[in-house]
Parts: sequence; C-alpha cells; structure tokens
Amino acid sequence: MAALSSRYALRSVGRNARRTLLSVAGIGVGCFLALFMESLNRGRDELFARVGAESGSGHVRVVPRGWRERRDPRLRLADWRADRAAASALPGAKAVAPRARAQVLLAMGTHVVPVELVGVDAAVEPRAFRFVRNVVKGRYLVPGEQGAVVVGKVVAERLESDVGDDILVSAVGKGGDIQSGMLRLVGVVSTGSEEIDASIAQVAMEEVERLTGLPGAGEVTVVLEDWRTADAARDLLARRVAAGDAVMTWGEINPEFRGHLQQDAAISRFVSGIILLIVFLGVASAQLAAVLERRREFAVLAALGMSTGRMVRLVLGEALALGLAGGALGLAACLPVLWRFSRAGLDFRRWMGSSYSFQGVIVEPILYGDLGAWVIPYAAAVALGATVVASLYPAWFAARTDPAVALRVAQ
Amino acid sequence: MYPTGAVAWVRWAAVAGALAAWSPASAAAPPDVEALLSHLDDLYRSKSSIARIEIQVVSPRTTRGMRLKAWTRGEDQVLVVIEDPPREAGTATLRVGENLWNYLPRIARTIRVPPSMMLNSWMGTDFTNDDLVKESSLRKDFQARVDRRSEAPPGWWLVLEVKPGIVGRWARIEMLVSDERLPVEERHFDRKGRLARTMRFDEVKVLGGRRLPAHLVLVPTDVEGQRTEMRYLEVQFDVKVPDDTFSLSRLEQSR
Amino acid sequence: MAAASTLRIAWRNLWRNRRRTALALAAIGLSQALVLCYDGMLRGYGDWLVATITGPMLGHAQAHAKGWRKDHAMDRTLRGISRTVAALRGNPEVISASARVYAPALAALGEEGFAVLVMGLDPAAESRPMGLLAGSRQGLGGRRVLMGRALADLMGAKAGDVVALVGQGADGSLANDLVTVAALVETPVDQVNRLGVLMDLGEAQELFAMPDEAHEIVVHGRDPERAGQLAARVAALPELAGAEVLDWKVLAPEMVSLVELVRIAWVLVLALVFVAAAAGVANTMLMATFERTHELGMLLALGTRPARLVSMIVVESLALGALGALLGTALGGAVVLVFQRTGLDYAQLTGGGPSQLSFAGLNWSLRIYPRLAFADVARGVVAVVATSLLASLWPAARVARLQPAQALRE
Repeated sequence: MAALSSRYALRSVGRNARRTLLSVAGIGVGCFLALFMESLNRGRDELFARVGAESGSGHVRVVPRGWRERRDPRLRLADWRADRAAASALPGAKAVAPRARAQVLLAMGTHVVPVELVGVDAAVEPRAFRFVRNVVKGRYLVPGEQGAVVVGKVVAERLESDVGDDILVSAVGKGGDIQSGMLRLVGVVSTGSEEIDASIAQVAMEEVERLTGLPGAGEVTVVLEDWRTADAARDLLARRVAAGDAVMTWGEINPEFRGHLQQDAAISRFVSGIILLIVFLGVASAQLAAVLERRREFAVLAALGMSTGRMVRLVLGEALALGLAGGALGLAACLPVLWRFSRAGLDFRRWMGSSYSFQGVIVEPILYGDLGAWVIPYAAAVALGATVVASLYPAWFAARTDPAVALRVAQ
Repeated sequence: MYPTGAVAWVRWAAVAGALAAWSPASAAAPPDVEALLSHLDDLYRSKSSIARIEIQVVSPRTTRGMRLKAWTRGEDQVLVVIEDPPREAGTATLRVGENLWNYLPRIARTIRVPPSMMLNSWMGTDFTNDDLVKESSLRKDFQARVDRRSEAPPGWWLVLEVKPGIVGRWARIEMLVSDERLPVEERHFDRKGRLARTMRFDEVKVLGGRRLPAHLVLVPTDVEGQRTEMRYLEVQFDVKVPDDTFSLSRLEQSR
Repeated sequence: MAAASTLRIAWRNLWRNRRRTALALAAIGLSQALVLCYDGMLRGYGDWLVATITGPMLGHAQAHAKGWRKDHAMDRTLRGISRTVAALRGNPEVISASARVYAPALAALGEEGFAVLVMGLDPAAESRPMGLLAGSRQGLGGRRVLMGRALADLMGAKAGDVVALVGQGADGSLANDLVTVAALVETPVDQVNRLGVLMDLGEAQELFAMPDEAHEIVVHGRDPERAGQLAARVAALPELAGAEVLDWKVLAPEMVSLVELVRIAWVLVLALVFVAAAAGVANTMLMATFERTHELGMLLALGTRPARLVSMIVVESLALGALGALLGTALGGAVVLVFQRTGLDYAQLTGGGPSQLSFAGLNWSLRIYPRLAFADVARGVVAVVATSLLASLWPAARVARLQPAQALRE
C-alpha cells in the first residue's frame, strides 16, 4: 500500500511536467542561493581571519614563559630552534616565522625615532607578515645579509633618511648597558596607514641578538592553511615545543580582533537565516499554490477511497521527490560557481573607494568562497527541509478535502 | 627625561679641559694632530669629578633654566642633584651601572627607570644619547687633519672624518681650536653629510686647576629657535668622591 | 472603459479565490518584509560599526597643533583651548567637543617604574554614549585617576592604590605627583587599556604645565559620513587658525577600508537576498497562474478574447504585487521601527554572544539600531512589482495561445 502512494506520487510528478519543472526550478534556485550564501559566509570568516593572522599575530604563536602576562619584548624562548622545527612539522603550516624584538632608538644626526625593532628570518617574513610586502623604495632584506634594515615610510621620513643611508641604532642590552650599532637602510615599505608605517623596522635576527645580548628568538609565529584548525594546532604544538614555552592562538593574542570577527560572523548567521527563510517561503508558497489547484484531483482520490494517511503520504512523497530533484539541480548548478569562487575569489578592490591606494595591503579584499564536503548535507537540508516543511500544510489540506464539496465547486 | 646626559656634559667639560691643559705652542705652526687627539682622549678621562653646572634650554616656546650639582666616578657612576629652580630643588638622579633611579622630593618617592626608557634624553635638552653612552674616542674613531688657519678668532680648523666601520652618528666633525689649544666651535655632520648641530665654547677661565671654556652652547641646525646652554660654575677633577655618594639612601637625603 | 473593466474583473478574480490570493500575498508580503528587515539591519550595523570606530578615541574630526602628530612633542600644544572649545560647542553642527592632553610618563606603585601614557580628559564629554568613558561610573578629579586594566595587571595595581607619576611638562620641567587609582577601566581602545592613566583635564594641564592648553581637540558632528565637511568648518574657526584639523577618514584610512569591506560584503548579500525573494515571488506567481489553466480555458471557451485574458492576468499580477509589496512594507517597516526604538541586543541575538571582548564591559557597544532609508523601501517595492509583472508574462503568453479544449482538459 505504501508502494501505491509512492507510485502515484512519481506518476503525478511525471504527468504534469510544467508544474514539476517549475517546482524543481524553484527549489533549485533557492538551494543555489542558500549554498552561495553559506560559501560567502565561510569565505568572509576566512578573509578576516587571514587578514588578522597575516598582520603579525599568525594563527598560532609559540611564546616564552611569562609572555601571556607581561608582553615584554625582551623575553626569549627556551629553545627557539626546537620550537621552529616543531611548528614546521605541524600539518597545515603555511609559514613559520621566528622573531626577536627590541625597543630601540634609531638616529640620523639629531633626528631620533623610538621604534620596536623586529629581528626576522628574511626568507619567511613576507609570507607571514603582509605589511612588509609593499616595498616602495629599495628592497626587502636578503637572507643572510648583515647590517641592513627595512623601515616603514614614516620612520624614514622622521629620520629624514633614504635608501643607502647609515642609521645609528641604540638598544638597552642584557646587563642594562646601552649597545649601539650601524645599520644600512636598504628598503622602505608602505602600508598606507601612518600608524603602521611608523612602527615598522626589521632587521635580521642576528642583529637584535648582537644589540641586546639576548639569544635567539622571542616568538615563533605560524600561519596556517586553514584558520579553523588554530585551536587544534595549538594543542598539538603545545605538546611538542621546548619545556617552558607556551603556545597561543591568534584569538588569545589579539582578542579585540577576534571579537570583531565573532560579531561579524554572528550577524552573518542571522542574515543567512533571513535568506533561508526567504527561500523556504518561496518554495512553500509555490508548493502550496500547486496543491491548492489540485483540489479536484484530491477530491477524486478521496471519493475513490484513498485514506487520509495515504493522501498525506502521497503529498509528502511528491515533496520528497521534488526536493531531491531540486536539491540535486541546485547543487549541480552551484558546484562550478563555488569552484570558481573558491579558486579565483571575488576581488573587491575595484568596488572600494579608489582614493586610497593601499587597501591591497592592509586588508586584501579578495573573498574566497569556501567549498567543502559540507555542501552536500547543506543542499539536502535546505532542499528537503524546505519542500517537506512546505508540504505539511498542503498535505493536511489535501487530506481534509471533502470530496463532495470539492467536486461540486467549479474551479 | 632622566639625567643620563649629565655624564655627557661632564665629559664635554673634561674634553674642553684636556684641550686647555696643553701648553700653547707657536701660534703660526699647525699642531701635531695625532698627538693632539691622543692627548684629548687621555685627558678626557678623569677618575672622578664634582661639578656645579647651570643649564638653560631655549625653545621657540619657552626658556628654562636649571642649576645642578653632579658627582661622577669612573664611567658609570653618576649622581645629579638639582639645586635650582626651587620647584625642582632636591630632585636627584642616580646611575650605577645598569640601574637608573630618580628621587622626587615633592612626593618623597624613589623610582627606578626601566631600561627601555634609559635611552630618552634628559629634560628636553639637545644632547643626544650616544653623548651619554659611548666611549667616543676622537683619536680612534676619526681620521683627522688640519684644514686651514683661522685669523679671527686665531686658531686652526681641523676636519675629522669618521673611520669606516665605526659606530656613531657623526660622519664628520669640523673643529676650530684656538691657539690656546681650547675649542671654540665644533660642527657635527650626520651620516648624510648634513650639518646637524653646532657647538660653541667661550668664557674661558680657570676651573678645577685647568683653564677651559666655562660656557657651551649647542644649537641643532634644523629646529628653529632651539638651543641648549651649559655653564660651569665650579669643577673639581680627580677629587676624592666618597663611596656612599652613589647609593640610594644618599639619593634620598641628597641636598 | 476597457481598462477600468479589466481592472474590476481582475480585482474580483483576486478575491474570488481567496486562498490562492492570500497565499500569493503572504509570499510576496513576507518576502518584502524580510528584505526590509535585512536592509534595516545592514544600515544599523553600518551605523554601529562607524560609531564604534569614531566614538571613543577618533571622533569625527580632530584638531592638533601643526607637527604634533609627527613627533607627539609635549610642547606642541593648542593654546587658549577653553575659548576654542566654547566656540566649537556654540556651533550647531557640533554635537560635542572636548580637549585632551597626552603625556608620556613613568608610573610607579613601589620602586619599579612603568612606561605609561597619561591622558587628560574632560569627564563629562568623554562619558557620552559611545565615548571613551561611557559606562564608567567612577569620577575623575581630586587627584583620582582611572587606570587601564591591562596596565594595572602588569603593575600589580588595584583600586585604592597610590601611584607616583613622573613626566615632563610642556615647558620641560619635571612633572611629578601622587595620584590614587579610583578604578580600573576596560575601554574599547586597546592602547588605553595597556598604557593609559586617565586624569581630569584640568589636573593634567596643571601637572604638565599646560595652562589652558591641550594636545588634541576631538569633535563629534551629526553624521560621520560628512566628517570632511565638519572638519572644514572647524578649521575655519579663528580660534583654530594655524592648527591642523583632520577628519577620521584621513586619520585612520585603514578603518575606512574595513568599513567599506564590510559594507560591500553586505551589499553582495543584499543582492542575494533580493534574488531569493524575487525567485520566490516568481515561483509562486508562475505556479499559481499555471494552475489556473482550466479556469482560463473556460473563459476562452466562453468567448473571452485572448488579448483581454492576457491583460487580465497581467493586471491581476500587478495588483497582487503592489498589494503584497505594500503589506510587506508595512510589516517590515513596523518591525524595524519597533527595534529602532529599543535597539537589538547583539548578545541576545547571537545566543549569548562573545563574552571575551574588550568591548564587553560596556553594554552600549552591543546594541544595534536598525534603520531604513526611503531608497530601501522604494527599491523593494519596485523590485517586487517588477518581478510579479515579469512572472506573469510567460503564463499569460502561454494561455493566450491555448486551445480552449486543451485547456479545459487540464
């Protein structure tokens, strides 16, 4: 008997091609939009996480004991080489950047600029720190080079110096005595933000070591392929780093930024809800419209003796069939679009105000959609959910049809 | 902000004094530069000193004067106490090795200056940080030669070019030395060869048994209307400075 | 006459089949209402984002002495600021104006000194909604200060402690004093939390030898989008001749790009929302019209001219669309108006919300006020009506070509 209603359902779906096509198209479009929206959401989360991580904090960072409480740039890791090795061995590690920081004064003649000097691994740093990618004069540091410094545009301006000049650097060494050295300015970077451009000064890590007498790196920053694995990566890495060193995620290093992200993500979930609601609405109303017009058909079935239960199963069966077809259609149509979206991304640059030329560095506004195994259950949930829920009222309605009344009334 | 620059002033004074300690040679013959510089560096060191100094900072906005007393021993022990203006009298700074403290009489507190702030200049004067820190040696760091004769005031212009590989902010120093072997003017050129600041010395008198210019004026080139003046009221060189001078407890009672 | 009767017939048709009409109206109306809700949220969020950025520190425009932003020198001050601030407050375009002192200093609880930034603030002005001190209940003055929580943790300080401050006055003199920590604060500005000691403006001016002077004057106008004009107007004041006056977009261009990025992402989503709504409306209309084939065939058989039939369907759809749009606008508009008054509590919205924010101490920061502009409503109505119209064309055209017998069989 169940077979009967399902056979009828399938036949009825096949019989009225136009209605079926319309239904399936409607569900497909809704599904497409919902999938695209979700991909957008996940992509936006990824964009902000990426921007945050590549603005210096990385996704996870190995820090010395005590850094969590006082962010003293003079703290150093217990064994930075072991930490770096452990970080490089992490699955999904995109860039591993060791750094050593020191509070210094740069001087040219009587011009003096206090700045936090960062000793880096020149081979890795641009991959981990977006702010040094835009070199406007000279060049970035070359791995293995000694005595060179790269500064932000505002630092160079305040020193009234240019590429090729010798700058005096003074730092407070390990014993409290003041160490000085000469650095040659080899490059100037610009991010478009005055504040950031006034804070950038990078040298090889060995220079910081020489100036401060403090050995090795004070942090090992890791940029991951997938930002969502940050917490897991932290736990994994924490077990493998040198004794005494700790691991923090970007959310712990930069809680305000993570707060921004969470807020934005939450609002987007809300908005996704709106879109889903609209999709459901569209599908439901279309289904309902279809069912309402079939009153006579249901009346005839009732008159022929079809039970209420079976009629309900009939409507729901049709809905299921339509949902599957629509979902499959939506998914199939969406997959190539999501594929392109996840590879090439949406480049916002031309839509953003063109008066500022720097957006590409501060926030690289290219949104990469997300494509993963999630699309299949998501599409199924949306399509089937929409159609089945949408068919509940029509099913009930169909079941309640009084044959005599329905047959009597002319459509 | 903190009187680490005090060491510098006392050193400059010692430099000036060293130059003055030379017996004047024949006015027309150019001096033996190597010997001159070597002598300067040697006499630059005094094992200890006690001095009273007057400082005036002139800025476009305001003029401020201070009088202070300074004790030094070796290279890294300095105590500076402000005597005037009355508002700040009794404020003291003590540097012993890597530690720097301030004593503030008005609130009766001693505060240790964190290492990162030791690089700041003191009280808005124009003295730079390596004035206070480094063992700058004119003979070792610079290649010197006599450039020309000056008739008014009578003396010799020396040009000192920094040797390659030396850490310091001056690429070149042009110095006018009088026939009395006293500095008259110094011009400091930065690493791009730009004139960064000028120092002038005058008011020559006998202080601490040496004949030297008591008055120094430091003028930075590219800041309009800004200069720092220093005047020695009294100086004693190589004098016995009691051990307990450079201690925190002494700091708090200093007067 | 023909038009009028078509309209009458169309109208009667609509109400003859109440269920179908109600369904279509519901679909269209709810879609429109949801779109308007989204629009309202979008504008509200945009407002909130800009307010969060410009509220506490940045303001809409700032005035400084020339060159101060470059070296933050203590003696580069604005003079005669009490007059300047009074003049600013007298300007109707200015909602709030106040002065600030920024003095780097050493703070010590015991013997150990810590580098801090002493900020002299006008407590009344900075306590305004979205201001730096908003939500902070402790007062300044009487040598009491507020300390950033992160700084206090670093120093080991707590409320009630006496702290020594040492800095340099604007005239180069030594500034030092003992102050009491009234309370610890968490402001939306990270730098203040890590380094800030907040003091009453007058007391800061006295401590740092800056009589009637300040380093910065911050101004809020009505509309952050028009900050540039505000800055120009402020710069024209005789009291600020020679000063540098800039609006927030110039001072923090990275913030501007962030706001734009967020805005663009939302507009993209708006497009999606629109398409979804339009698709839903179209689907419904199509379905409804196709299902009436039997009925329409009957009319054809009775002799109605095809052209008349087409126009009837089109008019019905238009009427449906317009009515639905109106209902939707009323519903959506009402919802937005309700929440505009009370604000949407973000934390509730997101189910408990993020609690680790440095914003978290101040609940004003989590409230969003949705807002609609006429453009949003107009856009929605036009879109809905257009969609309904277009959605009716295909079935209408098909019906017009029908053979009555064929149609009757359906």
